[in-house]
Amino acid sequence: MSFDTPRAELSVNGARHAVEAPPSRRLSHVLREDCGLTGTKSGCDAGDCGACTVLIDGRPHCACLTPAARALGHEVTTVEGLTGPAHERLKQAFLRHGAAQCGICTPGMLVAAAALLARAPRATPAEAEAALSGVLCRCTGYRPIV
Amino acid sequence: MPAYHRPDDLSEACTLLAAGPLSILAGGTDVYAGTTAQQLNRDILDVTGIAALRGIARDEAGWRIGGAVTWSELIAAGLPPAFDALKRAAREVGSEQIQNAGTIAGNLCNASPAADGVPALMVLDAEVALASAAGRRRLPLGAFLTGPRQTALAPGELVEAVHVPAASAAGASDFLKLGARRYLVISIAMVAVRLAVEEGRVAAAAIAVGACSPVARRFAALEAALVGEPATPALALRVTEAGVAPLLAPIDDVRGSAAYRAGAAAELIRRALARLTEGAR
Repeated sequence: MSFDTPRAELSVNGARHAVEAPPSRRLSHVLREDCGLTGTKSGCDAGDCGACTVLIDGRPHCACLTPAARALGHEVTTVEGLTGPAHERLKQAFLRHGAAQCGICTPGMLVAAAALLARAPRATPAEAEAALSGVLCRCTGYRPIV
Repeated sequence: MPAYHRPDDLSEACTLLAAGPLSILAGGTDVYAGTTAQQLNRDILDVTGIAALRGIARDEAGWRIGGAVTWSELIAAGLPPAFDALKRAAREVGSEQIQNAGTIAGNLCNASPAADGVPALMVLDAEVALASAAGRRRLPLGAFLTGPRQTALAPGELVEAVHVPAASAAGASDFLKLGARRYLVISIAMVAVRLAVEEGRVAAAAIAVGACSPVARRFAALEAALVGEPATPALALRVTEAGVAPLLAPIDDVRGSAAYRAGAAAELIRRALARLTEGAR
């Protein structure tokens, strides 16, 4: 499959988004600027900070390292798409435990945590630490988040 | 706009590569981390859709790991204990996000002296299978990696797969990495050790150390000294810093001095040997 035109249709949070972007454009920027989904944060653009974590077919990826073309034909879930009952409980838990301060890591934390809880609903603190290790927080520290 | 090719057929990919200069993109974890641009401003060959680069398979000759297999796919694969070091290394490749995207071939072609996958593949005597419009060839991993960020990949070639000979898939292996912190760290030293034990004695030993030299290296002299010895934790006593230093010729850099690296590598080898011989006293 080659891309002769920059027009493409992405499936994000169950909705179709027509975008016009170079195929190699970072998915994080396509989501924010072309799809208007600014919940996904752009931090380091180098795969270090994890603020741009999204799910592609349910698995966490750094959207900043993902060419938009590679999302074609796959289901992308951003923090805006975390709307199920388990996701609501997760968000309430973040509020209750004071897991957000400046908030820039919070979308990545929520998305990474949602991926973990989808495969291990009763994950241990050690599993949570490993699953969240790809998202950096410089405010609260990790204890309230875990 | 630069071209972006994502063929699903290997021969189509080789034809495209032969026709013009294309930058090969696999998982993207190094390529995108290495630029501040929002898109890649050169013609791209995305190899992640090529069927021949996917999957892990076994035949009488040994194991074949497709070049575009991700670290997550490798961790999930059913492989014998000789591959435990490679699985442990896979878990050290960045975060889960990186493991879901980064590929075996990408790790090799990026040719970082600190590539997590290299020592673990070296103790499996891995060979790199290269494909181009002109044909195929295979190189031992140690010959494919020619220096820091340098490989024997010729223009028009791509890494199709990594092969592990059946005889080298024997025994059990372990991987240990020393970094400045637990997660997401560039190694100061890392060690892979594979031991095959028969009737309580070492039948085959393979030891590789990475992040200490321009290219990770095997320790043939030390391996030979271990063969025939009783496979007990006392094997670790055979490994000394003074013995390791000349084999390693370690580098001095911001992450650690040469002397520190020699000491760290020796200790990691001792720990790996102790772990692999646990229970046999």
